[in-house]
Amino acid sequence: MRQRPDYPRQAASGLQLGGSLEEQVRQNVVLARLQDLLAWGRKNSMWPFNFGLSCCYVEMATALTSKWDIARFGAEVIRATPREADVLVVAGTVFKKMAPIVQRLYDQMMEPRWVISMGSCANSGGMFDIYSVVQGVDKFLPVDVYVQGCPPRPDSLMEGILLLRDMVGDEKRPLTWVVGPQGVLRGPVQSQRDLKTPERMRTTLLRPTNEISYAPLGINGNGEAQTTGR
Amino acid sequence: MSNSSTIEVQNADITRELSAGFPDISFVPQATVDDVPTLWVPEERLKDVLRFLKEETKAPYRTLYDLTAIDERTRAHREGQPDSDFTVVYHLLSYDRNSDVRLKVALKGDEPSMPTVTGIWPNANWYEREVWDMFGVRFQGHPDHRRILMPPTWEGHPLRKDHPARGTEMGPYTLPPEKQDAEQEALKVHPELWGFERDEGDEDFLFLNLGPQHPGTHGPFRIILKLRGEEIVQAVPDIGYHHRGQEKMAERQSWHTYLPYTDRVDYLSGVANELSYLMSLERLAGIQVPPRAQVIRVMMTELFRLSSHLVWYGTFGGDIGQLSPVFYMFTDRERILEIVEAICGARMHPVWFRIGGVAQDLPDGWDRMIRFIVDYLPPRLDEYDRMVMGNAIVKARTVGVGQFSLGEAMEWGASGPNIRACGLEWDFRKKRPYSGYEQFEFDIPTAVGGDCYARAQVHVEEMRQSIRIIKQCLDNMPSGDYTSRHRLATPPIKDTNTMHDIETLIHHFLNVSYGPPVPPGECQLITEGSKGAYSYYCVSDGNTMSYRTRLRTPSFAHLQMLPLLSKGILISDLLAILGAIDFVLSDVDR
Repeated sequence: MRQRPDYPRQAASGLQLGGSLEEQVRQNVVLARLQDLLAWGRKNSMWPFNFGLSCCYVEMATALTSKWDIARFGAEVIRATPREADVLVVAGTVFKKMAPIVQRLYDQMMEPRWVISMGSCANSGGMFDIYSVVQGVDKFLPVDVYVQGCPPRPDSLMEGILLLRDMVGDEKRPLTWVVGPQGVLRGPVQSQRDLKTPERMRTTLLRPTNEISYAPLGINGNGEAQTTGR
Repeated sequence: MSNSSTIEVQNADITRELSAGFPDISFVPQATVDDVPTLWVPEERLKDVLRFLKEETKAPYRTLYDLTAIDERTRAHREGQPDSDFTVVYHLLSYDRNSDVRLKVALKGDEPSMPTVTGIWPNANWYEREVWDMFGVRFQGHPDHRRILMPPTWEGHPLRKDHPARGTEMGPYTLPPEKQDAEQEALKVHPELWGFERDEGDEDFLFLNLGPQHPGTHGPFRIILKLRGEEIVQAVPDIGYHHRGQEKMAERQSWHTYLPYTDRVDYLSGVANELSYLMSLERLAGIQVPPRAQVIRVMMTELFRLSSHLVWYGTFGGDIGQLSPVFYMFTDRERILEIVEAICGARMHPVWFRIGGVAQDLPDGWDRMIRFIVDYLPPRLDEYDRMVMGNAIVKARTVGVGQFSLGEAMEWGASGPNIRACGLEWDFRKKRPYSGYEQFEFDIPTAVGGDCYARAQVHVEEMRQSIRIIKQCLDNMPSGDYTSRHRLATPPIKDTNTMHDIETLIHHFLNVSYGPPVPPGECQLITEGSKGAYSYYCVSDGNTMSYRTRLRTPSFAHLQMLPLLSKGILISDLLAILGAIDFVLSDVDR
């Protein structure tokens, strides 16, 4: 993640008392450009729209529940109206009958607004290359982050939220007239595949299919269930 | 089994009974693989025959289980069947006889039409609209002759053989502003065109549009309410916002590669859909599934029933304003999904069953995981009883709300927990056992009252029964093959010489790449899914792909009952009813 002069973060995390006057000032006074401060605020409170199309929405809802707890990333405040939401997670298949409604819901969201395309159907139509399905929501909406999977696991969605957070934190949205390039300026976007390839290439041992990859349910190696679970 | 032999006798009976009752009609019988008596009836006498079966015969066929059509124009194997371009199929179910009958009507020409049967069964309404939408068969006298699944602006009838299947065949999708406006305009409600009753007097009503985007509808589903204050005068549901063309998809995938699609029909029930599809398909292909594979299938299906019911439990609480349950239930669902993932490798859509068995044997240590869950869940369920079912507010919101009688349930084709909540002890796992269910001990939970609370009671008790079945799977898992050695089983089992000699290599390659060629025939077996009766009506023309696959889903039938249930109630009760009825939109629109 790119680091920038991050006073707001320090202010948010440092609530210890004591120390010298200098330290007190450093922990309680924020010096930042208003534009950066706003970007910091936006990225740490992405409010998703409570909107679901199909199977993916179940995993999106699962991400809100205890085990996954999307609240850790400030994205648990789902809004029932598009007017209060920051991010539209297109969770599921985009049907031709539904597309004009998705467009209308997007139009009702206030700027700045972002779109996460969740799952293969929303990304590209996925396995549903069929007459009634739009082959990807990006045919009519601008998409900021694509989350892969059918449906993506809750942790994949959360990775998508994290990517969007970084993107939003890096955005430059001038608050007044500026000289030079106009509009929203975004930081560089790098392909996740390229970033992850080296790590993935390091995998050389594949687990046999008769083994379980991890100990589910907090069952320890002796086959005894731990009462606390995970 | 004594059960099946009595069915055979009854099947012969009904054919004889019909011939005696209608001496002037020459019924053309058709042999089907599922042994459901199938008779071709002339179009002009259909209504008389249906009325006879529903009202006059002893132990009548009170339920119109399914109504669909087949585009016969390119079908090769139709030996002995009357000439037909479009065949309309009526599937009737008798709870008294525990037997079905299938009637077929042959229609000719490109714009076929026939009389409606909505006067006999009210639930024919949506089914006929679907046949009109998908096949372009007109039903004269239908009270609400509109498209149901496709948008009103759609051209063509998708399940006709000359309609494109792929989205990519139809050119790139665009949504320019003028199209957006036109589509939005088409979504507007015109009460007189949308089946609303005419107003009498000068009373003013409020029309409220609920959905397609609404947190209480569990997905893209729309219902238009005509209100007098907060009281619902009439409700008109509008579906089709979740239509994924599953039936057309079946005609384009091989029998084997259609399996992943079945998972996504009722997306909360995963392998239960696969089981339903495979029951019909394996009977059609003549495949015997080995005992170990059967028990593995039952165990996974019951795990998914638990998982689906837990989602239902949590969201049901949420729908009536109880916000905690969803967090408890989803946490327990995670524990089930962890097992599913450890065994199958995926969470919601594992695609783990195969034609003839399952994808692979159970992994080492599966029994520890299963034992954990069967010990862990019962006390949790007791706790949830106190939290949800015993809660005074939950009772106040659901007891006596959304009631329907057993007679209405049969009339409207309700099934699963919803019909059991009316007191009928009916479960296809018991009444028509499949996949070895006859060897398990479990009860059929029922409740009285047929209201939202009764439906909830049935759901909760079913979870306990599922745990009981899973426990029996755990204690009595047979040894042996995890998939069949039948030549059509796909993919073939690899423990012998596969990949080492050319014969087995070719066999493997053909089955996996082209898919197994299934002998011509028709088969529809009914299975008990988490939401009611699931069935796949598989029509094979002897190819590696289906000629026609019809998905009969419970949620479609249940949602059609909404206008009946919502007359005269308050809006808040409507959401309690939606919550209790247990549907998913992908199961409605397919």
